[in-house]
Amino acid sequence: MPTALSSTETPTSNGARGRVAAARRAVEDVAILFRFRAQAVRRRHLTRGLVGSFVLVTLAIAIVPAFLPGAQGAGKAFDIFLLMPSAMAGILALNVASAIASGGGRELISRDQAAPYPISPTTDHLGALVLAPLNIAWMIQAWILLGAMAYSFGPTNLFQAQVVILLWLVFATTLGQVVAWTMESVRRGPFGIGISRGLLVCLGLAAGVVQLTGHTTDLLDQIPTLWFFQGAVGGWGLRWWVALVVLLVGSTTAVAAGAVPTHLAARRMPRDEARMETDQHEPRPVPRTVLGLLIRADRASVWRSVPMRRGVLVLAIGPGLVAVFGNLPWSSMTILPGLVASGGALLFGVNAWCLDGRGALWRENLPVPASALFDARAWVLTEFLAAASLITIGIGALRAGLPDGVELSALVCTLLVVLLQVVGASMRWSLAHPYPVDLRSARATPAPPAAMVGYSARLAVSTTFTSLIFSACAKVPDWRLSVILAIPCLLWSGVRLARTARRWQDPVARALVITTTAA
Amino acid sequence: MRFGEVEAVAGIDVQAYAGQATALLGRNGAGKSTTMRVLAGVVPPTEGLVTVAGHDIRTETLAVKQLTGYCPDVGGLVPRATPWEHLQLSARLRRMTDWEERGRDLLERFELGDVMNRVTGGFSHGMGRRLSVVLAAMHEPRVLLLDEPFDGVDPIGVEATFDVIADARARGATILLSTHLRDLAIQACGSVLVMRGGARVAAVDAEAMTGEEGARAYRALLD
Repeated sequence: MPTALSSTETPTSNGARGRVAAARRAVEDVAILFRFRAQAVRRRHLTRGLVGSFVLVTLAIAIVPAFLPGAQGAGKAFDIFLLMPSAMAGILALNVASAIASGGGRELISRDQAAPYPISPTTDHLGALVLAPLNIAWMIQAWILLGAMAYSFGPTNLFQAQVVILLWLVFATTLGQVVAWTMESVRRGPFGIGISRGLLVCLGLAAGVVQLTGHTTDLLDQIPTLWFFQGAVGGWGLRWWVALVVLLVGSTTAVAAGAVPTHLAARRMPRDEARMETDQHEPRPVPRTVLGLLIRADRASVWRSVPMRRGVLVLAIGPGLVAVFGNLPWSSMTILPGLVASGGALLFGVNAWCLDGRGALWRENLPVPASALFDARAWVLTEFLAAASLITIGIGALRAGLPDGVELSALVCTLLVVLLQVVGASMRWSLAHPYPVDLRSARATPAPPAAMVGYSARLAVSTTFTSLIFSACAKVPDWRLSVILAIPCLLWSGVRLARTARRWQDPVARALVITTTAA
Repeated sequence: MRFGEVEAVAGIDVQAYAGQATALLGRNGAGKSTTMRVLAGVVPPTEGLVTVAGHDIRTETLAVKQLTGYCPDVGGLVPRATPWEHLQLSARLRRMTDWEERGRDLLERFELGDVMNRVTGGFSHGMGRRLSVVLAAMHEPRVLLLDEPFDGVDPIGVEATFDVIADARARGATILLSTHLRDLAIQACGSVLVMRGGARVAAVDAEAMTGEEGARAYRALLD
């Protein structure tokens, strides 16, 4: 996306009338770019079906739990009810963190593709906002919040409550974007990288102090989301109307305010990316084996990429901290590897061959068996996902103590099964649907937004299902049950991965991937 | 050579000989790069017979890759690897020993010595092209395939590429040079193949393409 103001912007950016005209133009440009991207969608009927399903699923989640047995009751429903303000704050924190990690949100059109066109930073900001909900992580957060509200609050005045929750989601997204662009403009400024890292360390230390001194509950009781929550559950009262207006005004202000740091950031050099692209790496001795050399080359492609470094940091640390603050027991920790592995695959794994970029043509001319290339790429993806998952589990273990044999067995089995599941699916999709992506920008994704939604939904469903099964195993007092269940799962995923490896050896299939990713 | 409904190259009969440099000339979309990709073993031919240094490209692809040096038309560089890491990879996979001195020498000749440890993602287009030629030539291949090596390259890079071609000819290698820059092609090569619409339309000595007369003849072949 743009790194400097377009020459066409200057005449309209002076004065209030000029700013309004520029904003109107930016909104129109978002529509134009969105249509342009939509034209590239391959299976439109499927996309329409997905959009329809999303609306239906969202409506069902927002309404049906209110009529389930136990809804609005004194037991679990009441516990959830008490946690709702904290959950709202959590959603805000997650939106801020993910927007910061992706350098201001995703790109409607990549920086290189946008370069010849007069696309303003405001368009870029609005485009990222439009794309924000097209992300399974965002959707799951939204569904959890809506579902929890419906279940805990019951059918009376549910409409009013869900309207406030929806507006809270919009507000959290827009505010997250403002904070992210502000951080990005700071990061691109003088001493920006040091300042942003310092802020991160301070935040981590503060969270640690709050947790260690036992003030977490006091802090959660004082968060301002409580006020909005009271407005949501108050029916057609004055407070509901005030909450509605405050959230609407807040969201609109955040959308408009986001343009300011976006313009500031656009005038500054993206330091992280620039540093990565001019980094020096002293030569190291050549590994003894060909596979070792290929793995090292692929590993460098992963760890020298800004979106992957930032993404894996957020993925590894974020869920770990949630586990610590939420006091997650070992039996529930089985949910973490699937979550982290799925997120990690979405950083590059679902289009794994894009790592070579335009170098794919040269690499394909190297005299090395295709199987070695596949093995190296699959191995690097596996270790990337395994490292992130293990860090998360390690952080979670800080509070959970030592697991017993059954819990350990369930966790290890979950980790192995979801890793093979995710790597197998990623390599399969990488072969079937390659995309030309360079992953230079912190905001880049390995596939177009619609494809990313599909990938993330499929990964989320399969890994969550697996995790829940092993979570149940962790409560059965026999460690062998997890192992017995893991064996067929590993065999099934292993066979599918081997089948993909065989397909990769077909020169025609490989040529299609290489010419596409190098395009 | 077909890509779905599109027939990229058809009915092409190319023979290039050892110790000779042959230019592939033609307009954009004439099929030059596709031909080069097939010869490099990157894209398999859908029909016909392709042999490189006596090896059938379908059945002996690895042997062909061992013998060829390929500078692709686009990019050709892994964005987050350094030039030296590219050379290491190529040398190790081709089982080369004592290649370091030649690698350094080539990088110096192409004025890339001071960036040999810098990731290539930040390279300019011309720097990338120059490094691609270095990578194609480093292992002294029997068949040198240079696809648009002059594109966006400064005069020093062009001269260094000429030297690489001359060296390859001197040691008896076969060189195929794909470009749409007629002047540079006829300086570097002894013979010229002109392609149009995926087919060969002429095979002439480079001398026949020189001067005003050559330019007119070339224009006539393109239309």
